[in-house]
Amino acid sequence: MRLKNVATSWVMTMAEMRRSRIALILFFVIPSVFYGVILLITTHRPIAFRLASISLKSLITVSQRDEAMVFIGLAAVGVLTSFLALHLTQKHAEVNRRLILAGYRTTELLVSKFLALVAVIALVGLYVGAITPLFFRPLRFGLVLAGFVMAGYVYGAYGMLIGAIFRRELEGILFIVLLANLDIGWLQNPIYYFEAQNKAVIRSLPAYFPSQLSMASAFTYESVWGPLLGSLAYGTALLAAALLIYSLRMRLRKRP
Amino acid sequence: MSRPSVAPGYEVLLEVRGVRKSFGRRQVLRDVSFEVPPGRIVGITGENGSGKTTLLRIVVGLLAPDGGVVRGDARTGYCPQDLAVFETLTVRENFAYFATAYGLCGTGPRPWTGTMDELCARFRFADYREALVSTLSGGTKQKLNFCLSILHDPGLLVLDEPYAGLDWETYLRFWEFAEERRALGRSAVIVSHFVYDRSRFDAVLELREGVLRCV
Repeated sequence: MRLKNVATSWVMTMAEMRRSRIALILFFVIPSVFYGVILLITTHRPIAFRLASISLKSLITVSQRDEAMVFIGLAAVGVLTSFLALHLTQKHAEVNRRLILAGYRTTELLVSKFLALVAVIALVGLYVGAITPLFFRPLRFGLVLAGFVMAGYVYGAYGMLIGAIFRRELEGILFIVLLANLDIGWLQNPIYYFEAQNKAVIRSLPAYFPSQLSMASAFTYESVWGPLLGSLAYGTALLAAALLIYSLRMRLRKRP
Repeated sequence: MSRPSVAPGYEVLLEVRGVRKSFGRRQVLRDVSFEVPPGRIVGITGENGSGKTTLLRIVVGLLAPDGGVVRGDARTGYCPQDLAVFETLTVRENFAYFATAYGLCGTGPRPWTGTMDELCARFRFADYREALVSTLSGGTKQKLNFCLSILHDPGLLVLDEPYAGLDWETYLRFWEFAEERRALGRSAVIVSHFVYDRSRFDAVLELREGVLRCV
């Protein structure tokens, strides 16, 4: 992989994103709207749940609003980054193929797009993290933030994988909506899975580790190494699969 | 089997032999063979849907043939029929992106920016170098689409309907440029659904019923 090529492609991808002003604005408006809705509909009624990744015998009891704030923050970051990743991977497929024909390697293009995604994940994660303390004080704010960034990482990699598999936007969007709604928008909320059966299904979904990381950090002082490493491993596996499929799809037939 | 050979006895930049391609049950290319020696402009014509673009995509490596071989180690420049440029980048940024792809950003004898300036001036879109491509007219986008394929001075140019959308003046400049390149031993394969000036080509081949024939 040639760093100069990755750097040029990263600069160009960032320039393109910078020019999509409305999309960028929405990246900051959507989490704010999510938080606004939570403020509007939740109360400080105490709710009790157990976190799957830590071995506390007693229930964790927190304010309904605090729990919802962490959950909706994760959902906002995950959903936004997966859509952005899908867009980055699918957009310009023909021009990217032309670039590969001209001498770029598929890995250089995909890595540069991923790095551009990382920059946006960091920005959105930091923004969502920064507004969270306005509404409540998590016990370990930095690790809650890390959970948001990991949600972006895992769902960004998922978006890239879907973008590598499907050529058309509609199929990609539907697949993202399908998983994001079920997983990060519903099943990973501890209130739901606390009493769910077949929890193994929930634990195998992409948002499991990031949501455990954020929830455990927000409301306990228990170790979160497991969810942190699990998030990294899950995201990296999805990213590797995306890279493999993207490379197969974009490959050229060399002349003998 | 007909195998049009444009100039037998010369070194060959591109050799296509017995290429076949089907999409489902529809056989688009049955047995396509031709050669392109240095310093030749070869036209490939045919009706809509005759398989011209499929053939070019196989020639440049974007599509795998079902059978047959494509040989040649010349540096190739490819200009696709549909615009393949970054709409939300400027003209200069598009050139920079492709210059990196072609490996022109190192310590070469001539910086790519000089070639870009020359091409933009020659094809009359120098005033738009800093403009976003999305704001340009269709003709100017087509000029950029073409110029991106020649930035690295390829030995073989593969052009799919290159002058669709060009004005008459630019069309003439295109041919002036193509003839200069031919004098330097560079070759071109130009696909068009009709050929205006037969005399400008060294050979014109017609793709009909999946087979190439000399016209």
